[in-house]
Amino acid sequence: MSFGVILSQLGGGMVKSIEIFVLTLLFSLPLGLFVALGRMSKLKILSGIIKIYIAIMRGTPLMLQLIVVYFAPYYVFGINISSGFRFTAVIIAFSINYAAYFAEIFRAGIQSISIGQWEAAQILGYNKAQTFFKIILPQVIQRIIPPVTNETITLVKDTSLSFVLSIAEMFTIAKQIGAREASIIPLMIAGLFYFIFNYIVAFGMDRFEKKMSYFR
Amino acid sequence: MKKLLALVLASAMTLGLCACGSADTATTTETAEVTEATETATEEVATTEVAAEEATTERTTLIVGFDAEFPPYGYMDENGDYVGFDLDLAQEVCNRLDWELVKQPIDWDAKDMELSSGAIDCIWNGFTINGREDDYTFSVPYVDNSQVYVVKAESDIKSEADLAGKVVGVQADSSALAALEDAEGKADVAATFGDLVQFADYNTGFMNLESGAIDCLALDIGVANYEIAARNGGYVILADQLASEQYGIGFLKGNTELKDQVEKVLLEMVDDGTFGKIAEQYADFGLVDSVCLGK
Repeated sequence: MSFGVILSQLGGGMVKSIEIFVLTLLFSLPLGLFVALGRMSKLKILSGIIKIYIAIMRGTPLMLQLIVVYFAPYYVFGINISSGFRFTAVIIAFSINYAAYFAEIFRAGIQSISIGQWEAAQILGYNKAQTFFKIILPQVIQRIIPPVTNETITLVKDTSLSFVLSIAEMFTIAKQIGAREASIIPLMIAGLFYFIFNYIVAFGMDRFEKKMSYFR
Repeated sequence: MKKLLALVLASAMTLGLCACGSADTATTTETAEVTEATETATEEVATTEVAAEEATTERTTLIVGFDAEFPPYGYMDENGDYVGFDLDLAQEVCNRLDWELVKQPIDWDAKDMELSSGAIDCIWNGFTINGREDDYTFSVPYVDNSQVYVVKAESDIKSEADLAGKVVGVQADSSALAALEDAEGKADVAATFGDLVQFADYNTGFMNLESGAIDCLALDIGVANYEIAARNGGYVILADQLASEQYGIGFLKGNTELKDQVEKVLLEMVDDGTFGKIAEQYADFGLVDSVCLGK
């Protein structure tokens, strides 16, 4: 069993992990923005519902949420689940979970912009949407990059939870290779893979942060 | 006053949520049981009705659920393919029935949910029949298995009695654990242990044994043989056994139609010697001795 073979097998799992990572970010970031706006809504009902949603998403284990999303169609509605639903369920569960966290980060960012900017924009003739997208959001994005990077890195490592729905992502593959080889080495290599991937993510976010600081 | 009211309301809501949560789980399990019961009933009706048109024509795939960390019955080989004694048997059965075999590695703890929700068709992975007779529809037993204790070769533990005060490891939800918890089995022996630790997989268990974190590991003999061979020895299996039992293919309770189809082909394979040939491929792990069909 050569080192190269372990690497190539782990690489296959890595692709799966990256798929989960990319798709989750793709859905949870925009969803998080809407959730944040709903959370700040003046409509008491809307903000109340969003509060409950965030409380559930943050207050229960992600592993449980994965199980619930995947098995709910059967246990609640009696619909037989196809095996292909596994991956979809993983993406849904990760997206709605991370959207809750991102929403609170977005809210913190939006509320950190002084109200005076809104007033000044209004006097200059901007409407609310224009103010938000042209003036507020660029500043918000820059401010929230560090906490968003935190969450993003956590997401990379959390992809290993998807094994509970039998998705063969990298950590699962590492455990399976470990079982065959009767060795701990594959797990260590998997750790290295995660580290390198996260290093790249952190590096990219750092560059993005520098780029966004143009108006300072 | 307003704040106080808000606080009270909020806590009431949280409480309500908790209550909803637990009530939900209770009802879900209940409904699950009920649906299971009704399903078995309806299935029986359905099978007779549908049998004629659907029996063999409709099925084109067989989704086998297995723990991919359970060598030599199901594991990932060096090419990254899932192989093993059980999976090779399943492949042969599917070849003969012209079905496509889908090898679905599962989280062992989630096997019941996987099976009852229809995400997998059967559990075929060194699946112990004993003690589970009422929970699944089983095929004929095809392997005689025993649960054994493994210790380091240099350990001073020579028999079950020496385990008193020692730390013993076992896989969560495994037959070895069931034997150690069974009042008519080895519960009295387990009571003498210093501690009983549960692991998610056997590799972690052996790492614990190797590093001295535990003194003994209780597991299936087939897996024990594989692990000891893969680690180039250094471990011994105690003569005292926890339990002897048999492996079968587990189908959803009441799904005798699928069971019969698979079992029929399996028995044909025993008759023409294919079954024995597949067992010989795993002879290094003692499988030729432990199979109980075709002898």
